[in-house]
Amino acid sequence: MKHFIPTPNDFLPLVKAEEAEAIVRPSLSYWQDAWQRLKQNRRALWSLYLIVALLGFSFVLPVIVSLDPIKQDLTQLSQSPGLSRTSVIVETLPWSGRYAEAAISTANTPNTEFTSMTVADLRLVANAHTESVRLTWEPLAGAAYYRIYRHILVPSGSTDLGLPLGATERPAQVSYEDRLKLKTTDYYYSVVAVNKAGVDSLFATLKVSAHHATGINDAISRGLLGDVIDRDNVLNTEIQLQQHILGTDQLGRDMLSRLAYGGQTSLFIGLVAPFIFVVIGIIYGGLAGYLGGRVDEVMMRFADFVIALPFLLFMILFRVAMGIGSGESGILPMLIALVALSWPSIARLVRGQVLQLREQPFIEAAQLMGANSSYLIWRHMLPNVMGVVLVSLTFAIPSAIFTEAFLSFIGMGVAPPTPSWGAMCNDGVKSFLSHPHELLLPAVLISLTVLAFNLLGDGLRDALDSRMKGSR
Amino acid sequence: MMQFILKRLLSGVITIWFIATATFVGMHVVPGDPLADAKAMSPEIRKNLEARYGLDKPVLQQYGIYLSNMLQGDFGISYTQKNRRVNDIIREHFSVSATLGVLALFIATIGGIVWGALTAVYKDRWPDAVIMFFVVISVSVPSFVFAMLGQLGVLRLNQWLGFSLIPVAGWGTFKHMLIPALVLGLGTMAYLTRLMRSSMLEVTNADYIRTARAKGVPPLRIFFKHQLRNAILPVVTVLGPAIAAITTGGFVVELVFAIPGLGRYFVQAVQQLDYTVIMGTTVFYGAFLVLMVLAVDILYGFVDPRIRVGKSSG
Amino acid sequence: MSVALEVQNLSVEFNTQGGRVQAVRDVSFAVNSGETLAIVGESGCGKSVTMMSIMGLIPMPPGKVVSGSALLNGRNILGLTNNALNKIRGSEVGMIFQDPMNALNPTMRVGDQIAETLIIHRGMKRAEALQQAVRLLDRTKIPEAKNRARQYPFEFSGGMLQRAMIAMSLACNPSILIADEPTTALDVTIQNQVLELMREIQREEQMAIVLITHDLGVVARMADEVAVMYAGQIIESGSAHDVFHRSAHPYTLGLKSAMPSIADTANKNHVLQAIAGSPPDLFSPPKGCGYCSRCPHAMNVCATTPVDMIVINRTENHHSRCWLQHPQANRPVDDLFQPALTGSE
Repeated sequence: MKHFIPTPNDFLPLVKAEEAEAIVRPSLSYWQDAWQRLKQNRRALWSLYLIVALLGFSFVLPVIVSLDPIKQDLTQLSQSPGLSRTSVIVETLPWSGRYAEAAISTANTPNTEFTSMTVADLRLVANAHTESVRLTWEPLAGAAYYRIYRHILVPSGSTDLGLPLGATERPAQVSYEDRLKLKTTDYYYSVVAVNKAGVDSLFATLKVSAHHATGINDAISRGLLGDVIDRDNVLNTEIQLQQHILGTDQLGRDMLSRLAYGGQTSLFIGLVAPFIFVVIGIIYGGLAGYLGGRVDEVMMRFADFVIALPFLLFMILFRVAMGIGSGESGILPMLIALVALSWPSIARLVRGQVLQLREQPFIEAAQLMGANSSYLIWRHMLPNVMGVVLVSLTFAIPSAIFTEAFLSFIGMGVAPPTPSWGAMCNDGVKSFLSHPHELLLPAVLISLTVLAFNLLGDGLRDALDSRMKGSR
Repeated sequence: MMQFILKRLLSGVITIWFIATATFVGMHVVPGDPLADAKAMSPEIRKNLEARYGLDKPVLQQYGIYLSNMLQGDFGISYTQKNRRVNDIIREHFSVSATLGVLALFIATIGGIVWGALTAVYKDRWPDAVIMFFVVISVSVPSFVFAMLGQLGVLRLNQWLGFSLIPVAGWGTFKHMLIPALVLGLGTMAYLTRLMRSSMLEVTNADYIRTARAKGVPPLRIFFKHQLRNAILPVVTVLGPAIAAITTGGFVVELVFAIPGLGRYFVQAVQQLDYTVIMGTTVFYGAFLVLMVLAVDILYGFVDPRIRVGKSSG
Repeated sequence: MSVALEVQNLSVEFNTQGGRVQAVRDVSFAVNSGETLAIVGESGCGKSVTMMSIMGLIPMPPGKVVSGSALLNGRNILGLTNNALNKIRGSEVGMIFQDPMNALNPTMRVGDQIAETLIIHRGMKRAEALQQAVRLLDRTKIPEAKNRARQYPFEFSGGMLQRAMIAMSLACNPSILIADEPTTALDVTIQNQVLELMREIQREEQMAIVLITHDLGVVARMADEVAVMYAGQIIESGSAHDVFHRSAHPYTLGLKSAMPSIADTANKNHVLQAIAGSPPDLFSPPKGCGYCSRCPHAMNVCATTPVDMIVINRTENHHSRCWLQHPQANRPVDDLFQPALTGSE
């Protein structure tokens, strides 16, 4: 800069190109602009896709594929998700058991070290499957009989052995056959010897993986083998069972079907109830705000009282009050209760907006230009209220879905056998430890739905907010 | 301030009356019959029972008796446990729920404030992202799932340790309360974290924070004396709804963790259609929540000078 | 008369998502004890950022002081740690801000907020500090100072709050007061009272004032020296008289003709001259003069080559950053630059 030597030309007036002030951005309507902003919010956009996917899963999938949420597949109870559904045909004759030589088993003198000993060589006799698990072990000196336990987790101590299956009848009997509601899962069998004085030995534990099996008589009577009559040939062969990609519940109902139909219930309640109470809220709040004065005061006082009612308590109360007759799904009572208790918050919101809008200069201007009431309401009030209402509608949906889930979970929701995600969770709780998928699958769908609507609501609020502020 | 409290008190009383009436109306439009479950009942016994529960009188008179009893704090006698008064049931079980609730509220509030403040301080850096991720999870997953997962977690922990560090279910010691209270407070904590975060961010950019810095106030003092105090105000205003959420959330947590609280009892009463217990508990819970909201309002009045002084000086 | 604050070649940048904003570019000025320097310019020109960055009150990052020095009573305070700056802020330098309604902590009593300064810098006990706070409120002409000190900001009016702010900034007898648009949010009558108060205290304390404002009326009332800022640069500086009456930069002229005056309002046909266009994008400042695109007298050189401060009057310390002041330039119409000399219309 120091070395800059100007020439005379530098000091001639600058000829500026006449630039018309071009409008860079096309003019967009309120909703177009909001939509542009929403599209830029990737989280909100993905949430929208997710919601569409969930709706498709619940409402379109059952139309394309035939799904039956009520049919019970008794051969497959509480099956985990998976693709291979085979079963081995087995004979289901009772087992005579294994007996030790009398010399060892009938030792009468109580052994002092008994409490620090355990039965040896606990093992399976045959393949473990869902029809029977056959165990045997070596006799323990001093044992009067043996107790057998079954657990679905690794036993953490002698007080945590799980389900007591039974005890052997004679000291010499060193075997046990478990045929009690076996499922295709891992079991931990524990055997404890008990001496004459009733003192327990330490326990021995064996991990057993049971695979799926069907009793041959069962298979024939259910027609799983077709016309085959040759019993010896089909024994120990594998047959293909009905497919349940997402497994089955404890009544053998297909999880995929129940999830889809349960989604219909949950999403129906979650979408329709908010929609109805938002409409009611707009009308009620808009009326109160528009009329103003005494009417407004009385209307809002009533709304305040309804808001003060403890929500979930009264949801339960309404459910009890309305009752559910046999054969009813219980969807309608829940819908009514939700609407009856939820409209006032929207009414309050709309009223506040309308009151605010009434003071706005553009409303005054419209009035001065002779706009009538219905024009004012439809052209000016509603479009301006809709933004806020849409955002609260988006947030009302997940809370309605949560409410449905909560009520169904405590048994106050839809009536069985109508599936809903909440009711499925309630069913799944009972077998959570052994078959977590029965709780987790519907829980994941609830969570995804709620998450998606929450994120969409956030995005929508941001999109509409920045437009309202007119910033940047 | 006094006037403010009196006004709130009056509206609280009216609200409780409204709740009681709504409960009464709700339960008397029931198509079912409260005594229907006792099937093989002779007309005589039935008559006696109706007399005992006052069901033989006209509805309006029943309503009058109901209100006057309620004014005296008498909720009647249980339908299913014929010798227990609802008052005794509430007294016995509510203390359990209240203990759990207070602990949960404590965890939620402290957690919400601390996490919220942290996310604001570390805005757009990894602690913010991590905490907000958990917040999003916590508001999206139903509480019963957390309850079940919490229980499973405790179970696995005990198994791994080889002894029972924390009981899986039940009630009695502080250890019993810990996980249920955490699960119960989780949703509220997430909500408060979000609120605290935005409140903190708003305060951070406030002019008076700049003033404090221009005065040479050291950062820690600014954080505690100027920022935190102002940011907490909105958190105080939502404590009322938070208490309501924790109270009703208690139903599920008490159910899952087998805690003998009023929430679990209420759910059982609902399942058994024990009308007096349902009505009594609903009104009790309603009154309790109204009083809590009132208490929070008054508390807020004390915390925010704009309300405290503003109302007293007219 | 000593120099209270001397700033040399200060440049400040902000690293934002959209790129680097050169908010302050090579700014130099000085202010003497007992005098008032007014920094003038439209919003967004970097007035506040200049002062805030000196005091370490801009968020860093994204803000960053690129170069320069700021001598406060002879000591360079630029680049000091926040801790060191905290010892200066509130004690050696007092600050007041634009919107007094929001500049005070709403949940803290006014007296406590003033006392806080004394507790921090003077190590006073709270009771003692509160007494001092009452005296300060009294001094800033707040009636019933004792009761007022116990009140909260929302119980004060805007003018009262600005007085309280002044009381707070004066608590430790600072040698310099930075007033960032102190009267913009106030009514005109209150404005006068507040300005009067500032002058009075300045006379008593021989305090230097840096007054940031866009209001030329306030400048005329208060300033001894004026620095006009545009697009992050000082484009004209000098005594208030020179800058007002011998304006040596087209932008200063533009500002002046955009300001209504009593004389103009008498003439009903007088039209206020707005400056057409808008300030340049500071993400990529123009190569030459920042005002070139809006300047009615722009020359070829203005678009291509940046210009240094050119001395207009050495004794009066009057400078202008304008190619028109270059000896080779063909001055346009002389009276354009010297309206005051040819007599006002």
